[in-house]
Amino acid sequence: MSDAPTTSDGLRVFKPKPSLPPPPATTGVIGWMRFNLFDGIGSSITTVIGLLLLGFLAISFYEWAFVRGVWEAASRQECRLSPTEFGTCWAGVEFWFTRFIYGRYPDAEIWRLDLMAIVFIAWMAPLWAPKVTAKVMVGLSAILVFPFMAGYFFLGGDRNWFMAIMVAVSMTWFAGTMIHVAACLLTGKGLGHWIITLSGFSSRDDRTHKYPLLMAAVVAFGIVYFVIQSWQLPIVGTNHWGGLFLTLVISGIGIASALPAGIVLALGRRSEMPVIRVMCVTFIELFRSVPLITILFMATTMFPLFLPEGVVFNKLASAIVAVCLFSAAYMAETVRGGLQAIPKGQYEAAEAMGLGYWQSMGLIIMPQALKLMIPNIVGSFIGLFKDTTLVSIIGLFDLLGMISAISQDPQWIGLHHEPLFTAALIYFIGCLAMSKYSQHLERKLGAGDRR
Amino acid sequence: MSLETESTPEQIQSAASDEVVISLNEVNKWFGEFHVLKDIDLSVYKGERIVICGPSGSGKSTLIRCINRLEEHQRGDILVNGVTLDSNLKNIDAIRRDVGMVFQSFNLFPHLTVLENCTLAPIWVRNMPKREAEEVAMEYLTRVKIPEQAEKYPGQLSGGQQQRVAIARSLCMSPQIMLFDEPTSALDPEMISEVLDVMVELAGTGMTMLCVTHEMGFAKRVADRVIFMDFGEIVEQNTPEEFFENPKSDRTKLFLSQILAH
Ligand SMILES: Nc1ncnc2c1ncn2[C@@H]1O[C@H](COP(=O)(O)OP(=O)(O)O)[C@@H](O)[C@H]1O
Ligand SMILES: [Mg+2]
Repeated sequence: MSDAPTTSDGLRVFKPKPSLPPPPATTGVIGWMRFNLFDGIGSSITTVIGLLLLGFLAISFYEWAFVRGVWEAASRQECRLSPTEFGTCWAGVEFWFTRFIYGRYPDAEIWRLDLMAIVFIAWMAPLWAPKVTAKVMVGLSAILVFPFMAGYFFLGGDRNWFMAIMVAVSMTWFAGTMIHVAACLLTGKGLGHWIITLSGFSSRDDRTHKYPLLMAAVVAFGIVYFVIQSWQLPIVGTNHWGGLFLTLVISGIGIASALPAGIVLALGRRSEMPVIRVMCVTFIELFRSVPLITILFMATTMFPLFLPEGVVFNKLASAIVAVCLFSAAYMAETVRGGLQAIPKGQYEAAEAMGLGYWQSMGLIIMPQALKLMIPNIVGSFIGLFKDTTLVSIIGLFDLLGMISAISQDPQWIGLHHEPLFTAALIYFIGCLAMSKYSQHLERKLGAGDRR
Repeated sequence: MSLETESTPEQIQSAASDEVVISLNEVNKWFGEFHVLKDIDLSVYKGERIVICGPSGSGKSTLIRCINRLEEHQRGDILVNGVTLDSNLKNIDAIRRDVGMVFQSFNLFPHLTVLENCTLAPIWVRNMPKREAEEVAMEYLTRVKIPEQAEKYPGQLSGGQQQRVAIARSLCMSPQIMLFDEPTSALDPEMISEVLDVMVELAGTGMTMLCVTHEMGFAKRVADRVIFMDFGEIVEQNTPEEFFENPKSDRTKLFLSQILAH
């Protein structure tokens, strides 16, 4: 072409064509429906049948739950008679709801559980606040330090020297965390910064900064320790624990211990030292090839046989140990899968740079592997949360155990459907929350580094 | 290192001295039954630049990976900076601190930013304060001409940029020896030269370099010595002029005719 621009030495100048928007597709709701739901006769019939089925189910449910729902009654008999026949007895669920949540925990002490729930939420919530610094510390302490405080509030009674110290540490830590969060939100600087500034150490060498921090921690601990020294809570034995509370205790401990234990086992399984490898493989295969219910039964029936005379046996403790061992074995395989997905070049690059085994694991391999594993890890957590229902079979009254307890209450005898539906709803909410959070986490962590 | 040397394809002045930094003595290695390295004898002088070439599977990668003990040899001795490579972990750590390596597939850490990739080893292996490590990293990122990418993740960079980051990452450990395992083989043609430019510049600083590469232009311009390997043996080694003009073995001649045919 003659009008094409040329450079001074006669070459045609290449000018890329402009990018155009894609051709208009069948978009919009109507287009989507036509394309996905009514794309031909077969598809249309399936859609119509599906919709009819769905509508039928929805109407039946509506009738069962709402039209026939009875909210005020003193017994199941009353529900069945008035105002409609075979009323759906939500009154029973309502009456027992506190028990679903707290089990047989004494009414006067329930505040302790509520308080711990609030403390835990307050401890974890800062992780979502962008302004807060030292998030790793806050999150780790919520998992490692909080259990001592919670354990004491749940159980009460005397504290031996260890628990006395740990409860004080835990309370001090919580107070420190809250002050730290407040400082971060209000001033943009964390607690550590203020302690260093106010103690006049900010002008000194960085290395001396740990002294005022240590001092502050020790003083705060001392104060808390002496203030709470003579304070005591009435004892509530684990036989009173139950309901959703017990479910959360068992699955919470199981979840918190599963990941670290799983990582250790998975690394052990890949170890070059045969003794460690064989031990880990044996453990993993043993616990993976036995159903959880069997482990639970063995833990609660056979384990006491081996205990020396006079040692008190706690059914809850052995159930928790069983759940932890089982979930650790499963998590180990999940972690191993994640480790295998990391290319060999990553190990080699880390090695060639002179990083040691633990450094390359902690800095290079694990962060990548854990990210890949999030869906599987959360899957295991959800599984564990649901599997804890099995403890009701060995006589612990977790949420499901309480549900079956209601049907044996003389006043509500035979009431199954409504409480079961309630339990299903609670489990559904819990699991959905975990699953949604994992998807959020995946998206957030995946945002930075597309490969 | 001035700009002229980059733009004119002249031979870069040799920086080789007569101090031996790497010496391999009768090195043999097997993968199971397979004899990969056969009686390798090699002395590398300080500041020397060696290009290793040879057909695929001839043991080039294995040879240079033995030098920082990513692979273990079974017979013979390897001395790096006077330290013997054996199962003594202290020696291995010491050598890895002084020997940098650049891989064909970059092997950047995808979960860390470019800057974090570069500061990781100085901070954790050399105990360098973070701020200082970042300054050093920015200096090297500037030298490989991508300081503006420091905050990006490797996945957001082109292959050529990634390989330059990988070179900067190695240099941040201030190594005395650099090993390159086909650094341009995984790159699109238009990105090869940007990586070679960086390597040429590095050669100009007097770094001891061992490069496995088939970039013959690079070899002619930079190498003090070209080594040709086949079947786990060093078939021939010579200065680039002699090697390309006047090969001593029929195997070398055939290989050269194959790679220079197109
Ligand atoms: N880890 C390994 N296990 C077994 N054989 C290997 C391993 N690595 C390389 N080899 C074999 O050793 C030979 C030399 O490999 P390599 O040093 O990578 O060759 P080059 O880099 O010259 O292409 C090849 O035949 C390869 O298949
Ligand atoms: Mg190779």
